Amino acid sequence: MIVYIVRRLVVSFFILLGATALVFWLVAISGDPLEDLYADQSPNKEDKIAERTRRMHLDQPIPQRYLTWLAGVAKCVVPGQGCDLGTNQTGQDVKVLLGNAAGATLRLVLVAVVVAIVIGVTVGIVSALRQYSGFDYTITFAAFLFFSLPVFWVAVLLKQYLAIEFNDWLADPRIGPVPMIALGLLSGLTWSAVIGGERRRRLTVFGVACAVTVLLLLYLLAVDWFTYPALGPGLVTVFALGTAVGVTELVSGLHRRGVLHASLAAAGVGIIAQFVLAGVLEDPSWPVVLLLAASTVPIGIGLGMVFGQLDKPQAARAAVLTGLLTGTLVFTDRALSAVHGYSQRVNGRIVATIGSDTPNFTGDFWQRFIDTVTHLALPTLAIMLISFATYARFTRATMLEVMSQDYVRTARAKGLTERTVVMRHAFRNALIPVTTLMAIDFGGVIGGAVITENVFGWEGMGTLFINGLERSDPNPVMGFFVLTATSIVIFNMLADIAYAYLDPRIRMS
Amino acid sequence: MTDTSPGQAPSLAPGALGPVGDQPEREFTVTARTSGQMVRRRFLRHRGAMGGLAVLVAVILLAFTSIGFGPVDGWWGKDYTRTAPVVDGGQMTLDLLPFVDGDGLAVGEHPFGQDNVGKDYFALTMRGTQRSLIIAFVVGLVSMLVGLLVGTLSGYFRGITEGVLMRITDVFLTIPLLVIAAVVSRRWSGAGIVVLGLVLGLVVWVQLARLVRGEFLSLREKEFVEAARALGASGPRIILRHLLPNTIGTVIVNVTLIISAAILLETALSFLGLGVQPPDTSLGVLVSVYQTASMTRPWLFWWPGLFIIAIALSINFIGDGLRDAFDPKQTRVRA
Amino acid sequence: MMTGERFGNDRDQRSGTSGADPTELLRIENLAVDFPTDDGTVHAVRGVSFALDEGEVLGIVGESGSGKSVSMLAVMGLLPMSARVSGRAVFRGRDVLALPERERRSLRGRKIGMVFQDPMTALNPVYSVGDQLAEAVRSHEAVSRRVAMDRAAEMLDLVGIPKPAERLSAYPHEFSGGMRQRVMIAMAVINQPDVIIADEPTTALDVTVQAQILEKLIEVKDAVNAAIILITHDLGVVAGVAGQVLVMYAGREVELGSTAQVFTTPRMPYTAGLLGSIPTLDTTENRLRPIPGAPPSLINLPPGCPFSPRCPLVQERCIVDEPDLQETDRRDHLAACHHWDRLAACDDPTTFFRTGAGIR
Ligand SMILES: Nc1ncnc2c1ncn2[C@@H]1O[C@H](COP(=O)(O)OP(=O)(O)OP(=O)(O)O)[C@@H](O)[C@H]1O
Ligand code: SF4
Ligand SMILES: [Mg+2]
Repeated sequence: MIVYIVRRLVVSFFILLGATALVFWLVAISGDPLEDLYADQSPNKEDKIAERTRRMHLDQPIPQRYLTWLAGVAKCVVPGQGCDLGTNQTGQDVKVLLGNAAGATLRLVLVAVVVAIVIGVTVGIVSALRQYSGFDYTITFAAFLFFSLPVFWVAVLLKQYLAIEFNDWLADPRIGPVPMIALGLLSGLTWSAVIGGERRRRLTVFGVACAVTVLLLLYLLAVDWFTYPALGPGLVTVFALGTAVGVTELVSGLHRRGVLHASLAAAGVGIIAQFVLAGVLEDPSWPVVLLLAASTVPIGIGLGMVFGQLDKPQAARAAVLTGLLTGTLVFTDRALSAVHGYSQRVNGRIVATIGSDTPNFTGDFWQRFIDTVTHLALPTLAIMLISFATYARFTRATMLEVMSQDYVRTARAKGLTERTVVMRHAFRNALIPVTTLMAIDFGGVIGGAVITENVFGWEGMGTLFINGLERSDPNPVMGFFVLTATSIVIFNMLADIAYAYLDPRIRMS
Repeated sequence: MTDTSPGQAPSLAPGALGPVGDQPEREFTVTARTSGQMVRRRFLRHRGAMGGLAVLVAVILLAFTSIGFGPVDGWWGKDYTRTAPVVDGGQMTLDLLPFVDGDGLAVGEHPFGQDNVGKDYFALTMRGTQRSLIIAFVVGLVSMLVGLLVGTLSGYFRGITEGVLMRITDVFLTIPLLVIAAVVSRRWSGAGIVVLGLVLGLVVWVQLARLVRGEFLSLREKEFVEAARALGASGPRIILRHLLPNTIGTVIVNVTLIISAAILLETALSFLGLGVQPPDTSLGVLVSVYQTASMTRPWLFWWPGLFIIAIALSINFIGDGLRDAFDPKQTRVRA
Repeated sequence: MMTGERFGNDRDQRSGTSGADPTELLRIENLAVDFPTDDGTVHAVRGVSFALDEGEVLGIVGESGSGKSVSMLAVMGLLPMSARVSGRAVFRGRDVLALPERERRSLRGRKIGMVFQDPMTALNPVYSVGDQLAEAVRSHEAVSRRVAMDRAAEMLDLVGIPKPAERLSAYPHEFSGGMRQRVMIAMAVINQPDVIIADEPTTALDVTVQAQILEKLIEVKDAVNAAIILITHDLGVVAGVAGQVLVMYAGREVELGSTAQVFTTPRMPYTAGLLGSIPTLDTTENRLRPIPGAPPSLINLPPGCPFSPRCPLVQERCIVDEPDLQETDRRDHLAACHHWDRLAACDDPTTFFRTGAGIR
């Protein structure tokens, strides 16, 4: 297995090497990098031309320029030597440019990928389990629609309609009776389709979801929630306990008391922690947040061991998951509380349409977090749609395929609960092909990011890349190419490892 | 212990068993319906695919008959290049909602409105649709030919041929499309859309080549290929008679998907200024040019977008129908 | 080929007796299964009834597609959601088809175990054999993993897997087909069920291991004191181990009776045809006598007896009027044929299927 991964890495390296030469050559021949200077009217035109010619080594043949570039890049892998990715046309260091741009782009890409995977896979499973239901048809149609949407068109659409209209609405949050009822009905339809069952159960779910949604919206409006959003300790407690129950149901089923108690205990610890750690949470930093998240793992395992009875491993898993989710709730609560302050700083235009952050924005941790999130929201949504559709369709197809396998029938014949059959036997096997998709999809998301950055005016790698292409300036393009291609190779490797971890037949060969 | 086996029942002609159509599809009744007929029947029953086909045909007819193509004139009198005085702020005159304002269905002078210099936007959109469609189908055709060729060669001959071809495929897979598009659009900007389609096709064949190769690798181990080889069939004959026909489903389905992706690809490239170059136009160019108009004159933004979606969506549904039709595993059970 | 002698013929004495026998375990009444599909409704099973006593072995035979698997899956509750099931399946006095899903689940694997045809695909490739066995225990009993694993090792030992404790952590792909089928048998009996449904448990295996697996199945059944419903194409096996035989054709039960009666005096031409298709040593020149033709489509069933297009005894009435399952010359020997008496009048009913017989 390790041999296999190493061999693939070596092959990837040579493919990359070949590809860099080709890309460099293509960019170099794509046009005349001096073009804009020919039209220059200033007296020192000749000097400018000479300087750029020298800087870009235009007097040398293309292969030689490539080797110069390659020699600079080679220093990246030799320890002790700084990377040298060359300079762009105007003499800026590509390494510095790339460093600034990569942060924004990778954030965008990773968030989009993760969100698309989580939502897409979940929706795919549900729509496979409810094959040929209204929900399934809706998702199928939505997926086809998303496949057919031009990213840039959606991006413009989101920017012009969603962001601006939403911000306008936030200035005076009100929901008329018709939209209110529409939202209620929509929620009712969705939940009844997702939960399924016989007609009576579906009707009950529909009614309850309708009513709850409408009441919730009325309550939120009454307390002016949209202006001062927050969960508050009360809701955090309720949601955390609900999470504990939900996680238990997913992991083992509620009848496993040990697991339930461990999850509830984890939720309890989280709820208490938000008060104990109030000082820390006032203005934390990312390392602190990550440390807190990491600490839920040993605590969860401990709780699992204490309460787990006959199901210690499952209890530990459920407790860790509940702990992390409770932490997320607390985090969300804090972040939401910062929205009002943030909103005042940006004149109420919360959802941003331009850039990856507000220029020169200073504020505490939470406000900066909100700033990042509101800038990420639209571009993420735009890139995500296609990915989401891919995951939803692929997961659905894989789940259907797996659910018809003999071993799923065997699992049922053993008398396992439907939950165990779906999660433990079917989903676990469906994950194997889905990991391969992750590696393939990643490259596509990067491509989508280039276009999305363009629409949303992000100073990201895509912009660097496009600008370089337009000026026939190889170095920035190569910087982008090497970085993205390497990350694709790494993603592929991770997928291989995940694959081997998930499938014992491969692990052992 | 087989109760019945196909070779053991020679005394009984299939007709003696009653109407042939009533027979379940088993080995001994394969003659009842050839697989081609089965595929066609399943495809024709696929509601999504039929809807998609109808929309696609409608769009193609509309685009090519309205403003004409090449020397042939269309029935829509206005030219997409001709400017005219802007009437009523360039508002669209199309009225498809007779009940809202009560003045009935109307097409009017400029159904999709006019752009800033008064060009008829319907004619422009039709022109853009033509261009986008042509590019997409050229891409589909080219990638099918190259993909089939490379996939066939590497899947059948294995060894060095396969190794080299597959590494080349990998390199192609790594190169960002935008780079190639930039070269085409900047160096041969005058070359026109067919060249753009050709070049894009020469890039996107990779997926197809891999799929064809995969099919070949599994097919060549099958008994019937072994048998053909044992009987002394030549390489080309085995490929043409035994292997290619069995990959046809995969190829058709994937070329369909490539075409729908190519529509989006062309529009995205044009949007970035790396595809179709003005003064020629395409749906992507139109969206790009009028994106800032989306608030003030939304129809300039919506129409090309809607046409992109209609084309891509209908082709995707057709692809889905084809996949269902070719995949014998899928017996759709009504819930 | 399997012959009965190997297992002893004592089981033949427990021939099927219907009615409210005190030892009656499972009674199926008028079981029917339909599948709505795009091409029309598939009537996969149309009326199957039988009774199974404790410890008894019932053989189900019939051509491929005759509904054997579907009817047993219906009893287990393992059919796809689209299936429409009717009839009754009374297990120890309770109709399992009418039970809520929760209680049906608790019967599956605990009271009724099942062994499937293809051991290569019936085990989950990503979990170890021990995990999959222990899971079967823990889904019905609140025991620790360790206890369940011990039970799993015990069962592996019972089905004849060497070094069972070590093999617990092995994955299915590390086992051969025969070994996997042993694991499946262990899984089916790990909760000491009352009934084991074995759906062609040896069809996918090497001829050499078929006998071993069957022998093991019977041995294990005796060890846990269960009854078996054995679906098979192998009439030799049925003759050897089953007390009762049920013959299915085109979704219908066409003959039911004790093995001895059905095999020596079949009362339905299809059964006679099946018997005639067994190769025997003495008829070398005419080894296989298959029944010519194919079973009818289950979607558009023609009226009359479904076997009529292939039946050498067919007459006017057969084509218009579908025969019911009815008593023949013995009360406990049922057959669905208008002309069973013609078979009864003949010494060797299989002769009807000799070359050139019958078809008009
Ligand atoms: N899910 C389904 N949808 C539609 N038809 C089905 C479905 N499952 C089974 N059938 C049909 O039901 C009929 C009976 O199938 P079944 O599997 O019970 O046959 P069998 O007697 O077990 O045959 P074999 O000896 O090959 O196992 C077949 O014609 C089959 O096509
Ligand atoms: S009813 Fe008629 S056709 Fe059917 S098996 Fe009996 S004799 Fe043959
Ligand atoms: Mg079967």
